[in-house]
Amino acid sequence: MRSNNSEIILEMRNISKSFPGVKALSDVSLECKRGEVLCLVGENGAGKSTLMKILVGVYNQDEGEIILRGKKVDISNPWDAYRSGISIIYQESNLVPHLSVGENVLLGHEPSRGFIINPTKLYKSAKTWLQRLNIDINPRIPVYKLSVAQQQMIAIVKALSLNADLVIMDEPTSSLPLHEVETLFNCIRALKNEGRAIIYISHRLEEVFQIADRVAVLRDGKRVGVLSREGADKSTLVRMMIGREVEEVYPEKVKTFTVDKEILSVENLTSSTLKNINFKLYRGEILGVAGLMGSGRTALAKVIFGVDSPLDGGDIYFDGKSVSLKDPQRAIGAGIGFVSENRGEEGLVFTLSVTKNISLPILGKISYLKFWLNKNKEKKIARTLVEELKIRTPRLNTQVSYLSGGNQQKVVLAKWLSVAPKLIIFDEPTRGLDIGAKAEIHYLIRKMAENGTGVILISSEIPELMSLSDRILVMRKGQIVGELSSEEIAEHRILSLAAGEKED
Amino acid sequence: MKALRKIAESTIFAYSRSERKDIFQFVFARYGSYVVLILLVIVSGILQPIFFHPRNIFNLLLRASPLGIVAVGQLIVVLGGGIDLSVASLMATTNIIAAAGMLGRNELCLPVSLICLGVGALVGLTNGVLITKRGIPPFIMTLGMMILLQGIRFVWTRGAPRGTIPSLLRFIGTGRIWIIPTAVLVFGLVAGVGAIILYYTTYGRQLYATGGNRQAAKLSGINVDKVIIISYVICGFLAALAGLVLTGYLGLADNWAGKGYELESIAAVVVGGAYLMGGRGTIEGTIAGVLIMSILVNMVLLLNLDVELGMIVQGIVLIGAVAFYKVKKLG
Repeated sequence: MRSNNSEIILEMRNISKSFPGVKALSDVSLECKRGEVLCLVGENGAGKSTLMKILVGVYNQDEGEIILRGKKVDISNPWDAYRSGISIIYQESNLVPHLSVGENVLLGHEPSRGFIINPTKLYKSAKTWLQRLNIDINPRIPVYKLSVAQQQMIAIVKALSLNADLVIMDEPTSSLPLHEVETLFNCIRALKNEGRAIIYISHRLEEVFQIADRVAVLRDGKRVGVLSREGADKSTLVRMMIGREVEEVYPEKVKTFTVDKEILSVENLTSSTLKNINFKLYRGEILGVAGLMGSGRTALAKVIFGVDSPLDGGDIYFDGKSVSLKDPQRAIGAGIGFVSENRGEEGLVFTLSVTKNISLPILGKISYLKFWLNKNKEKKIARTLVEELKIRTPRLNTQVSYLSGGNQQKVVLAKWLSVAPKLIIFDEPTRGLDIGAKAEIHYLIRKMAENGTGVILISSEIPELMSLSDRILVMRKGQIVGELSSEEIAEHRILSLAAGEKED
Repeated sequence: MKALRKIAESTIFAYSRSERKDIFQFVFARYGSYVVLILLVIVSGILQPIFFHPRNIFNLLLRASPLGIVAVGQLIVVLGGGIDLSVASLMATTNIIAAAGMLGRNELCLPVSLICLGVGALVGLTNGVLITKRGIPPFIMTLGMMILLQGIRFVWTRGAPRGTIPSLLRFIGTGRIWIIPTAVLVFGLVAGVGAIILYYTTYGRQLYATGGNRQAAKLSGINVDKVIIISYVICGFLAALAGLVLTGYLGLADNWAGKGYELESIAAVVVGGAYLMGGRGTIEGTIAGVLIMSILVNMVLLLNLDVELGMIVQGIVLIGAVAFYKVKKLG
């Protein structure tokens, strides 16, 4: 390994890139040194991902050049990037679920004679790579059995095995539970000590301060500035990212509900993944649900909304009546909305326009005889919601896939607002969103509660739960293990309950 | 000079090279099938001026109609994310039933036609129910149905189908009202009703949503199974209708009537810009696709080329279409 640690490994000079109707990047320059973690921050749509995709050859720049290890290179496809020692780890893992850890790590360059793979060598070599980053995972188990964090780490090991000395990570922690983030960071530090360079894209500023050596800020496709970690503080970064002051990202919670009007009551709910769940929700209340991934949070939401897992026992009372919500149609009909944690797979139809996505749950209501669409009414409803939620879209009939993440999430919200639900369940409503969009979503959640909607808010982000919730339920292994009132909500208690540590 | 530059800036030249490339791809994906169709018509006219002779146009459209009717059904299934390989076999089955049932008598035309359409819808229902409720992949289910129907036909007719086609059905297959072929009117009606259903009804919207993202559609309260089942019922119904029109055109009972229409209808739908993954495609595009495939066959005949050569060209057009329609996703 070339050891000169201050050596500049990558220089991107005056990169510009346009898409139809959008200038994605204009004149952006960036440099990265060996043994350095360079954090790239900016709001959604600021151009971070586009810049990285140019670097790994998914897109080609319109103008500008890339200089790698002092030589001008032309990276026109991902294969070029791979051969130049650049590796990218995406938000969602790119592993093959049914192959083993070892097979995934060495995928494409397995030790082999001719066409025949040598399994003994493969697993031995995979083990060596895993040990280099102190990862204790059996290389023979299939990847689908691993947790998300473990999969992320395998992806990093894979990048290493390709001998990449420039590793790009695009929001690697967006689907990681909190306690696994530190493990990932140790991994990154190990990479750094080997003299590799890391470009780390993130929305979470807390992380940036933990891991970055330098921070580069992009806004609206332009480079706003590069700061050293010492020179960066949260308010400066936020100001640079969004171009204005954010008074308070998490304003104080104001109590708005009254205990007498019960909207939902769950009694002894049991299913294959849930055990004996009991809770009540009142009109206008925001009920937070904390817990690690796989603790049954999402399963609970889906049972109430009528997707998956039939009940083994227990009752659900909605709006005072005993209900059996066997499918989403009935749940929506009763007045329940569900913002799923995965807007790409479960929230939006990317091939349809903003308007058509918003009207999906109310097609029956905006049609004559539930058959003939009243397109004027549809457009009117969509326009009202787009204005109310300040959804930034060129036109009402723009396909949703062209919007930024934050605006896509607002379309999901608009969709459920069109139903005027009495109860709405949010599952990780702000995952992967930048600060500005997050604040807007929080504002909208609050507003819904103020209008009398009962809200269930599932989140991994403790500050989010703390600032929004009236009460917080903590779940572990399919059970409710604690309930905290707004007075006793304290971060460390939620964490310890969720992780199953003894209460003091 | 300034004015000239202003004009240039307000047109496509205002965009950078890569922008122009993206715009071109976008335009091509949306309007490509029409561009190809127009070019094909021009080239055909140059190569063989007879192409524009009313008699040839008449024949061309007449022959395109049964394919068009099946293709509309196929489009509806494809929009929902499925595929139907059983349509051609169903057309042949309709042909056998019609010939055996009508016995050349005009008064039997309507009742037997209704039976045929009922059989078509029933076959579609079977496909749809087994695909959604038993989770059989559409490709396998409809392939099985294709073979099954074929077997039933041969067992029933012992390889020698009988019957005569009444003149009324012959009229629908080959006749004309004023200067328009009756079959084209049927196709036009099917396409028109199809467009209305797809663009103006809740069912159409639910179909696009289901094909675009089944899980998201389900979580938005759409009964996706029902939507998919209905798409196969419509497709089976239209395949039976196409079978009847084709029977009228052929004027005889044939165990292999409509052979190859399953693949040709899929090709027409794809050349017309639809995604086989579902969620995207239009009636207009499909009509263009049907015309493109039909003109290719027509030109092969006009130029006295081997029919096999026509197949080669059709294959190239199909692959070429998909290769060019692929639109880059924006990041």
